Amino acid sequence: MKRDLLVFVVGVALALAAGWVVFPRVLYSHRSQPVDFLHKTHAEKSGTADCESCHAFNSDGSFAGLPQNDTCAGCHADKLGTSPAEAKLVDAYLKTQTSTPWLVYSRQPANVWFSHAIHVKRAGLACGDCHGTLGASDEKRLYEQDRISGYSRDIWGHSISRVRRAPHDGRTMSDCEDCHHKRHVEVGCFGCHQ
Amino acid sequence: MKVSRRDLLLGTAGLTAGIFFTPVPWKVLDDVSIWTQNWPWIPQPPRGPVATKLASCTLCSSGCAIRVRMAAGFPVGISGAAFHPLTKGALCPLGFATHQLNWHPARLREVRHRGRTASWDEARAAFEKAASEGPIAIIDGRSGRATSTVLQSFAAKHNGSYEVALSAEEKSLSPYAQWSGTPVSSLGYDLENARSIVSFGAPLLDGWGIPGRFTHLWSERAAGKSDPQSRLIQIEPALSRTAAAAWRWVPICQGTEALLAASLARVLLDERLVPVQGPVPQGSLTDAARQTGMTPTAIRELAYTMAERRPTLVIGADENPAIAALNVLLGSLGTPGGIVKKSVHPSPAPPSRVLDKPLRAALIDSTVPWDYVPSSGAEVFRFAAWDGGGNRADWLLPTPGFLEESTDLPTPPTSAVAVYGISPNLLTASAPVKTAAEFLQQVDSTLPTVDQTIHARCKEIFRARRGSVHSEKQSPVASFESAAKLEEALRSGGVWLDEWTPAFPLKCSLKEWPTDNPTHSPLNWASAWVPPVMPTLAAKLYRESSLREPPQRSQS
Repeated sequence: MKRDLLVFVVGVALALAAGWVVFPRVLYSHRSQPVDFLHKTHAEKSGTADCESCHAFNSDGSFAGLPQNDTCAGCHADKLGTSPAEAKLVDAYLKTQTSTPWLVYSRQPANVWFSHAIHVKRAGLACGDCHGTLGASDEKRLYEQDRISGYSRDIWGHSISRVRRAPHDGRTMSDCEDCHHKRHVEVGCFGCHQ
Repeated sequence: MKVSRRDLLLGTAGLTAGIFFTPVPWKVLDDVSIWTQNWPWIPQPPRGPVATKLASCTLCSSGCAIRVRMAAGFPVGISGAAFHPLTKGALCPLGFATHQLNWHPARLREVRHRGRTASWDEARAAFEKAASEGPIAIIDGRSGRATSTVLQSFAAKHNGSYEVALSAEEKSLSPYAQWSGTPVSSLGYDLENARSIVSFGAPLLDGWGIPGRFTHLWSERAAGKSDPQSRLIQIEPALSRTAAAAWRWVPICQGTEALLAASLARVLLDERLVPVQGPVPQGSLTDAARQTGMTPTAIRELAYTMAERRPTLVIGADENPAIAALNVLLGSLGTPGGIVKKSVHPSPAPPSRVLDKPLRAALIDSTVPWDYVPSSGAEVFRFAAWDGGGNRADWLLPTPGFLEESTDLPTPPTSAVAVYGISPNLLTASAPVKTAAEFLQQVDSTLPTVDQTIHARCKEIFRARRGSVHSEKQSPVASFESAAKLEEALRSGGVWLDEWTPAFPLKCSLKEWPTDNPTHSPLNWASAWVPPVMPTLAAKLYRESSLREPPQRSQS
């Protein structure tokens, strides 16, 4: 009887270890950004502390998203330093006029309509409310992609258990709903899934 | 230590039990459900610049103003535009998803001749041969468009007939057209000024007429009020949603609407509740009460209620002259709150011209509903963007899908005021498609083009200097420098609305009380067709969701 219990507990322990430790490592593939980009260093050297200097809004109020090569070429038309990352940016993308294939951590799927303009301009949210301290760090984050759904890990959140480390951890539909409920802002299905 | 079979089973049981205390089953379930939404054969809009453009919905004749959100040049979302003076931002549920119809599996992408793939040249040769061998009919589903002018011109030049398949709302106006000599397209319902509306089964709150027009009116003046500003009396056998929400529901036996209308007319005339005189219908009130399932007292009370708070507007569900005749008795023709005649800007729809001899071929425009089936042995050339299945057309000819064609939108059938809009083509068709007008222009190059007609209509509006163009801001026509600027504003999604004129004269006189059986020529397919009514789900979705854009949002 004692042995039976022990074997059963070992089975449970193996399942817990596989589920909590092995599964997250297997589920996500890891990729590096095409160019190592340092947000903090750029902010310090360019003297622009606000996100909108590069992640600007268009004149019609819509969000332009990632800066295009023209923005980068404003400083990096030629190499300023000796870093391999800058050399790759200039030689592989700017001089060949090829869009830099940035991997976007927080990209929502095609069936979601998300307006930065509404959230930033109308609701007054700060960039960090959703994107955390990404813009203030020089961390070279790997892009982690769910092998089954194809989504970025940032959508589910860093913790596989969905226990949030920070308010901005996770961008699933329930995260959006939680925030809207807290702020008493009603959005029907077609608010996002138009 | 020896591992026994029992150990393996217990260990597996432990693993199975333990796995449910890990995120594996839940996360895999979530991921797999997402994976199924992203199969490679599911069309995905490309990533790219997002822009919002104004246009008009071309699914039906209402011409609702829409905002189209385009991603990388493809429409990915549609919402109503609140500046439209009639729809006020409302859309039917189908309108919200119209852009997805272009990807529908039944989308016609090639010419088909009796089930096999054919070419446009073959179709044109067959049509030219048919037109040279005998008379042809051109069937239009939405008269008054620039395309309609091309269709009518072809029919006139080639000794053919031009017929219009009227919608249920247009059919309900056709008795007045017959009595007054005014085209159906020039008539409308002045719902806004009516104090009592008596509907004989017309689904006013279930998708009737222009989306949002009556719903807005009803919610502002009547919803939840015991003594509403506008009374809606619904006469209908079943407790429909319109009947349930009406001020009063009058249940009657199926098919006795004309009899009840005659009884009401009799009471109105006998008891001098109306100032005009007219032919007195046959039959006694007691007989009518027995057949309709009402009591004579209830019929008399209903007649008194109709006369109590005027103007009273009577609306039939379809073409029923006995119901229409009530408006003549009530003096609701050509007066505010009744059946009104619109201004003539821009050009009214051309009248039907029906031949009284057997046809060799019929060309059916894509605006004619799919379930309209010709009842003769003529060779049928059917234009359509989607294959509805089970069609008897000899030729299926693919037309542009949603937003793939530049077309104009004349006044919706039930509107009391003239409206004009132009829907731009925001997309390029992904298949070799042609409109019926383009097809006919290839057969006869002397026909006017759609663009020429649109230019002419814009000039006409500009010269008249009446009304205003509604867009993000309202601009009087007089403020435009030229007709070209006016056309540009309309092509950018603006909608022209004529000035409200209290009432153009509209004279109808009844020599005898009409029967409820309109007669049609067996050769006139269009008039014999019974159009479908929009399902109740349409209005349900509209009312119970927040899909529509609230008016204040567009003003901010």
